[in-house]
Amino acid sequence: MISVSLNEIYSETYKALRSVNIEWSLAKDCANKAKWLAQHGENFLGSILKTADLYQKQDITISINENTNEKPLASALVALLLVEYISANRITWEGYIDNTKFLIAAMGIVAEEQQIYLILEDEKKNIVAFTKDKTIHVKSNLDTNIPSYCFLREYDFIDRKNIKYKNLKKNKDVIKLNDKCWDRLQSMAFETYVPESEASKSGAGY
Amino acid sequence: MDFQTSQNKFDYNHPLRPPSVVMKLDRLGSFHQTRLSFARRLIDDLKFQNCKIDIHKWNIDYNGIGSAIIKIALKNETLSLVIFCHSISDEERTDRVIAEKWDMTFSLFRGIPNKNELNQLSKNLKIQESGRHNSKQLTLSRANKSQRIFEKVLNDLSIGKQPSKKLINEVGYLIRTTAVYGNGKFGIGDFSNNDGSNFLEKPFQAEMLTVYLVRYFSIKLINFLAKKKGGEKSVTLSKHLTKHLGVGNATGLGMAPFLVNHQELIHQWIYNREKALSRVFSIKRLDKKTQNKIIDYIHQAFKYSSQWKVDDKLQSKKIEELNLDLKKILQNENLTKLLNFSYPIKKFFDFFKDDITLETQEILNSIFIEPFPELLEDLVNNMGVEEKKSVLIGYTVNDVLEIIKNNFNWALKIDTNKPEENYCFWYTSQTKLEPRLGITKKDTGIEKQLPFDIAHQIKQAVNILNKLPSNMTAAEVMINQPELRNIIKRIIINKSMPYSEIQNNLIGKNMKPIDILRCKLSFFGASKFDPKSNLWTRITLFQGAPLPNELWKTNVNDWLFPNLSNV
Repeated sequence: MISVSLNEIYSETYKALRSVNIEWSLAKDCANKAKWLAQHGENFLGSILKTADLYQKQDITISINENTNEKPLASALVALLLVEYISANRITWEGYIDNTKFLIAAMGIVAEEQQIYLILEDEKKNIVAFTKDKTIHVKSNLDTNIPSYCFLREYDFIDRKNIKYKNLKKNKDVIKLNDKCWDRLQSMAFETYVPESEASKSGAGY
Repeated sequence: MDFQTSQNKFDYNHPLRPPSVVMKLDRLGSFHQTRLSFARRLIDDLKFQNCKIDIHKWNIDYNGIGSAIIKIALKNETLSLVIFCHSISDEERTDRVIAEKWDMTFSLFRGIPNKNELNQLSKNLKIQESGRHNSKQLTLSRANKSQRIFEKVLNDLSIGKQPSKKLINEVGYLIRTTAVYGNGKFGIGDFSNNDGSNFLEKPFQAEMLTVYLVRYFSIKLINFLAKKKGGEKSVTLSKHLTKHLGVGNATGLGMAPFLVNHQELIHQWIYNREKALSRVFSIKRLDKKTQNKIIDYIHQAFKYSSQWKVDDKLQSKKIEELNLDLKKILQNENLTKLLNFSYPIKKFFDFFKDDITLETQEILNSIFIEPFPELLEDLVNNMGVEEKKSVLIGYTVNDVLEIIKNNFNWALKIDTNKPEENYCFWYTSQTKLEPRLGITKKDTGIEKQLPFDIAHQIKQAVNILNKLPSNMTAAEVMINQPELRNIIKRIIINKSMPYSEIQNNLIGKNMKPIDILRCKLSFFGASKFDPKSNLWTRITLFQGAPLPNELWKTNVNDWLFPNLSNV
């Protein structure tokens, strides 16, 4: 295991995703969600690497309209956009989604920053997560029982009877990650660097 | 503009200067330190904390090799600066960030490191970026002795002689840092995890404290080595000269992208600076004491600029013009009369502004702010900002186009098809993971460029947005066209934070990165800017600042223009 800082998670994640030609803003959004998950003690690294692979193989989509069970929406990349879109247009979205915990991270970020009341439900319309004021409440462990078909909408009132939710809180200062996965992320990030030209070297401290 | 809210407690509220005036690189590149600068704020904070700075451990030999710990006791916590001094040859000593050996390496540490932690630090600090660092470390830094001055000062002190004032003034420091990393770099602690420590929460506070302690260490070291070398013959550096020594720093392009990447923070810094100016321009009357203070600061500025010598031709010319302007102002027979009028600072500035350079205008602005610390208290304590990750909901295509029309006219005016407006590109270097500039037609790697072509992105956005329904939400545009998200986010931020965007083409031939560096360094509190090219500069930090044993004194933070008399 290797200890890394939140800032390293952010900067290495977005660079790694840039190395597989993911749009700047999507790479940065994903890095922010990864950082959020890390701060809340949730796993993220394997999912980032998997997202990069699936994106390259075109086995995930960034289209909110054309997702399927075989090619679900890449939540790691577009969840923040999706949450903003649902909130701005006041609509309900439903569809197939990959790595729903990134959608929960996006809901958490928007709740903290803009205090929008959102609810995420599974295919049977059971509540998976909801935001209230600046916090997000989730029904279960984010690594299990996460649905691949979801409904996301704003809400005015929810019935929470008989359901226990946990309030996700920032609880991590030191993040420990699998060395091999981290090395892989870093080597992907390295692909975005450029060898220095002589002209540019000449100004950098001589 | 909605940011022009009534924020002064005066009969008259002087309007803030618009971003179209302030956010131009030639003006940003003329900024000087002010009371809002972080080095100045650190001194106030250390005083408020009743801070005690002591040598905790000193294992340095007569060659200056070994380790030391400086302890910093604050009200609610203890920090330490861990120092290792190494043996390197003169050839290995370089200003470049890509160096691999340094005379000294440092880390600001939370608490005092135990034996295991110290072992780990001794292995990793000396290799800096290549090492793995831990979350108790708040900064990571290194420095080299100044080859122009260190040995000379040491020899003089060891034979009982004070070094030449002229030499001390010309160089201004004994050691020069080449990087001070903070906020999570290479595994060190994130500043967001400061557990409510107000002291460390403020922007660049840990870095500034590191540099301040490095200065203290450099003085302790030279006195220690002089004593070892000269024994009873030796003397310690005089208090007067000691105070005139700061810490040198060589800063290159690595710092430039910060101002582009941290829109909200830059807005906050510049907005507060402009608010401070607006407040002093709104003062109706000045008493005699304050009038004299302002005149005294202009005299000090003149002395400072007369002693500010650089090799760079363009900066030399600017300093020469600054000297002439300040002389002209000081000799003007209306000087005291102007400060006696109603709204004296505004009258004073309006009287001279058309006949003086940007460099002079901005040094005057630093002077105007200086006598009024009580007017700035809320601003000084509000230089940080929580940066938003999401894009504010509620904007339509029409709203975004309106913001572009009102705030981005500078970008629309640029002919982005011209080769000179596509002259260079920003990238991250493979060699040291630092930002660099490439020449578009010459260098490889443009496909990996950083998205700093803001003017180009604005034009692209206008072309697309004009074809969309005006009532479509910005969120819908972004989800359909993610390539517009970066620029739409910037535009929406700029609506409420209009000082968040540099109003020049950052990939154009006329762009000088040195101006970006100067702006940021002025907020750090740097003095004696000494550009070595358009891409990097040397500066001095904490020159003239109080020493740790003086922090309790009244008016301890009055050190705007460090200068030595009779040089």
